[in-house]
Amino acid sequence: MTTLRQVGESHSASWAREHRSRSPRRRPSSARMDKAWSVDKAWPPAEDGAATGRMGAPEGRDANPEWSRLMAAAQEGDKDAYLRLLREIAPWLRRVVARRLYGPLAAETDDVVQDVLLSMHSVRHTYDPARPFLPWLMAIKRHRLADMMRRSVRRNTHEVAVDSLEAAFAEVAADTSDWDAVDDKVVHAAVAELPPAQRRAIELLKLDEMSLNEAAQATGLSVAALKVATHRGMKALRALLGRHA
Amino acid sequence: MVDTATLIETLARDARPVRRLPNPGRRALQWLTVALAVVATFSVVMGVRPDLAGKLADQAFTLQLIAGLATAGCAALAAFSSVVPGAPNWVLWLPAAPLLVWTGSLGRQCWQDWFAVGPDGLGFRPDPVCLPMIAMIGAVPAIAMVAMVRRGAPLTPRLTVCFGALAAGALAYVGLRLVHPQDAAFMVLVWQFGSVVVFTFAFGLFGRWLLSWRAVTARIRAGSRPIDPG
Repeated sequence: MTTLRQVGESHSASWAREHRSRSPRRRPSSARMDKAWSVDKAWPPAEDGAATGRMGAPEGRDANPEWSRLMAAAQEGDKDAYLRLLREIAPWLRRVVARRLYGPLAAETDDVVQDVLLSMHSVRHTYDPARPFLPWLMAIKRHRLADMMRRSVRRNTHEVAVDSLEAAFAEVAADTSDWDAVDDKVVHAAVAELPPAQRRAIELLKLDEMSLNEAAQATGLSVAALKVATHRGMKALRALLGRHA
Repeated sequence: MVDTATLIETLARDARPVRRLPNPGRRALQWLTVALAVVATFSVVMGVRPDLAGKLADQAFTLQLIAGLATAGCAALAAFSSVVPGAPNWVLWLPAAPLLVWTGSLGRQCWQDWFAVGPDGLGFRPDPVCLPMIAMIGAVPAIAMVAMVRRGAPLTPRLTVCFGALAAGALAYVGLRLVHPQDAAFMVLVWQFGSVVVFTFAFGLFGRWLLSWRAVTARIRAGSRPIDPG
């Protein structure tokens, strides 16, 4: 099954990491990040114009009216228009983001692009079809990029790069002989067999990595009921996975 | 990590019709209508000061009330604009003008008191009722503001919440001036305007907690149903 929960798992993990490692130090402000990375100063890149035909216009103008139309249609629930829009902007976004990230941060490009797409999807109701689409999208991109930079700066202040970790990791490879038993498909099949309440609790708390309070808010159940459902769900899951194995 | 193509297909399948956010100006008017009704009700319940009719003839008093109201309106507009991606940045500077008039008028009155009476004109006495009154009058407008800005994009959480709290605090100041018979300019500046400042920054501290991308995307993930057998 492909769900938004699953596609958001990597994002949940990075958010969880961010919140766990919250530093008392002062965060770099959005303005400072923008200045440091000169976000959008040279937008758009010349090659983008060739790729999309009308991308040479400054950000303030409606550089591609077709995208505005597609976004307006997407707001009305036109899935095909939205799919086309996302497919057209994703490679363009990737190029724009990649130009801002270099060195070790280049590896984060796809994460940022996906963050922007997910964020754009979650606030698509804020787009006003009377206004150009690109400034709207670029504002989201700019802020998500700055968020990523903040996370990166925070992480780097607490992590030290080392060449070798012999003391921390054993030379002997992990025993993977029973990995078939925890294959993704098998786990998802087992979760699907759980009663609805237990399945929902496992999905939200274990797969989506929500906190108990967030899950309680999402389901309307009490924290205690969620704990019980999770406990029973895990017990049933163990039994089901044993049977699958 | 899911690849981008899969993410795109999943998002497209989840593209249900959405209700567009009204423009910031309209939202600011909606909020002002509710907030003014709350402040007016509060003032009537608490009982307006007996000398209000006379005070309204005082230019400085009226100017400060108007500046407070204008600050509330401009700050509300700035708060609602700050949650719309791509909204013009100049709107964020709008509250500065009425805020300057407001502080300028209070400063001028302080100067006049000092000039007329000397240092005694700036006498300082404890008036601890102001901060809780500002918080009490501004609470409902502030909660309404947070509920409304949470519908937008959390681009600048702290700034947005500061603007929202400034709008609620400025309205609370207007309400307080209508019920609390405190007219010494220095006392008004320290206790009443100071309470608005404290209220604004205290709310602002919770900006990232009140508005976050995490909450926005979590709502979507939790609300979505399995879409398609993979």
